Amino acid sequence: PAVAGPRFRRLRMGAGHRLDVKASGVLVLGIGHGNKLLTDLYNCHLTKVYTVGGLFGKATDDFSDTGKLVEKTTFDHITREKLERILAVIQGTNHKALLMHSNIDMKTQEAYELAVKGLIRPMVKSPPIITVIRCLQFSLPEFQLEIHCMHETQQYLRKIVHEIGLELKSSAVCTQVRRIRDGIFTLDDALLRTHWDLQSIQNAIWDCRLKVKTEIEKTLG
Amino acid sequence: VAVATVWGALRGARRPPQRPQPPPLCRGLAKTAGPRSIRQVREAEEAAPVFQYVGKAARRKDRVFVWGFCHSGALGVPSFVKPDAGWKKPRRIQPTPYRLETEEKISSAACGYGFTLLSSNTTDITKVWGMGLNKDSQLGFQRSMRDRTKGYEYVLEPSPIALPLEKPQQTRVLQVSCGRAHSLILTDSEGVFSMGNNSYGQCGRKVVEDEVYSESHVIHQLKEFDSRVVQVVCGQDHSLFRTKKGAVYACGWGADGQTGLGHYNITSVPTKLRGDIAGVNIIQVTSYGDCCLAVSDEGDLFGWGNSEYLQLASVTETTQVNIPRHLPFKIGKIKEAACGGTGNIVLTEEGNVFVWGYGILGKGPNLIETAVPEMIPPSLFGWSDFNPDIHVAHVRCGLGQFAALTNRGELFVWGKNLRGCLGIGRLEDQYFPWRVTVPGEVVEVACGVDHMVSLVKSFT
Repeated sequence: PAVAGPRFRRLRMGAGHRLDVKASGVLVLGIGHGNKLLTDLYNCHLTKVYTVGGLFGKATDDFSDTGKLVEKTTFDHITREKLERILAVIQGTNHKALLMHSNIDMKTQEAYELAVKGLIRPMVKSPPIITVIRCLQFSLPEFQLEIHCMHETQQYLRKIVHEIGLELKSSAVCTQVRRIRDGIFTLDDALLRTHWDLQSIQNAIWDCRLKVKTEIEKTLG
Repeated sequence: VAVATVWGALRGARRPPQRPQPPPLCRGLAKTAGPRSIRQVREAEEAAPVFQYVGKAARRKDRVFVWGFCHSGALGVPSFVKPDAGWKKPRRIQPTPYRLETEEKISSAACGYGFTLLSSNTTDITKVWGMGLNKDSQLGFQRSMRDRTKGYEYVLEPSPIALPLEKPQQTRVLQVSCGRAHSLILTDSEGVFSMGNNSYGQCGRKVVEDEVYSESHVIHQLKEFDSRVVQVVCGQDHSLFRTKKGAVYACGWGADGQTGLGHYNITSVPTKLRGDIAGVNIIQVTSYGDCCLAVSDEGDLFGWGNSEYLQLASVTETTQVNIPRHLPFKIGKIKEAACGGTGNIVLTEEGNVFVWGYGILGKGPNLIETAVPEMIPPSLFGWSDFNPDIHVAHVRCGLGQFAALTNRGELFVWGKNLRGCLGIGRLEDQYFPWRVTVPGEVVEVACGVDHMVSLVKSFT
């Protein structure tokens, strides 16, 4: 056997924020001491960024295109402008929810200072909140959105796509959910399937440790 | 069948050929159950009917939303004051926007002190509706159904106001404005109509001693201006008229100098203002309490009236200014201004919002009063690195609250939440701009003392 070096037998591995079967993208794993860092990163409550692809004209029971068909509708009345109006309203109501769930008394001067800087966000478990949502591509019947959110699940994002379809008086299903950023880890830090070997993993851990340390110090003090 | 299997087991080799059995309980009508193949699913999906909820040429609908104090009937929903079922309780405050059904598209709305006027620029006979307090006939004469000789003191739902127009099927109503106990209606070809209390001459007609204003039929028409009137503004007990040539006329109470005519007496005939605005082309005037502001076409700001709350303290120490004075603020060219009871707000050409005066100004609980305008950070209105092209498009003022409309159609309010007038769902005061959740794009908002009306376009 041409394998040399130390044997790794007892490895404790943990996973960061969940990614369900139909979604793809960045999934953060921690090894050994990294599990403690994972818990700290979770308590930082950073936002995650997804690209969500949708398709107008269909409505299914599990909001994705592989589900059982519920209804088909027309969609030729939908324009990019209408979609962006709906997205602006979603962003507005979620911004309100962001301020409400952050549990700061609105009457204090420090609440005003934080709101000006945009640093208010809930530091405890809260319902899913979308901080930024915008349309990247729009060509009927397909469209692609970029969503920055926190405390969400991928099924919640599919439900958002479905509700956007309803709001535009049509229907929509979600075709793709891809996480492109999880807190401080982006697609550039992620390892491809072909790179799942020891050397790349070690390099990746080495490159990220500074980033993780600064972020935890900045948020948790 | 049992015989055949015994035969097969005994003989071993040959079995009689099995006849194809028909499926049990089948009359040739039903299909067999079981999981469908992918091809069947796809065919069923393609054959499914397509529903059309809205056609390609669907237009956006115009709606009116109201919120605030209901008891005076100013919101126009009778079930808030007189519930339609016996067990329901009357609603005192409506803390979130509530849709008001109207027959026509409303183009202009104004909130007074306990009453509201809505107007449409249609050529139909009924152009203006009023609801709320009518103790001084500020909504005209509303004939009571019970007694044909008397009028209503409180009007609970939008009721038409009969205007004495010469050409009712051609004249259009452009704008309405409401003050404390009087209201002004601007038409395109027949001048300005005024109704309501005239004890200080604010309706533009001579003060009659001991006149009884309730259940009065008097609607006065004002036509003598140097050119066509393009904007009417009601202060608390005075009226301002802006004409096409850029001149400003005023009448009404002047004890705080709000008529700007150089004296502190009442004026019962609209008189042209001089002072620093003589010869200047004014493009907007505003007032709601006892202080007035005017914006010129070059972006300069002029003010007169009450200055007890430091509204004009940047130019003078006196608390009453009875002649228009130029306010030399170095904040950029002014696009729009709005005056409240104790605070003022302006919008500059760059889209920045400045506030000054006294009260909850919108920069946190620490800023209570300032004589010099302070800017409200644009990040509070939704501006961020992801949305760099959001800016404020209009500013409005009520008595103790402020409202700002962004170019995306979002409404932000802040100030004293008197009887739920902010519409944010809570009854506490709001110290910095807060979004009001309205199901639509807000096009126009009118602020009153304790209620607000907004004109909204639906999304799709």
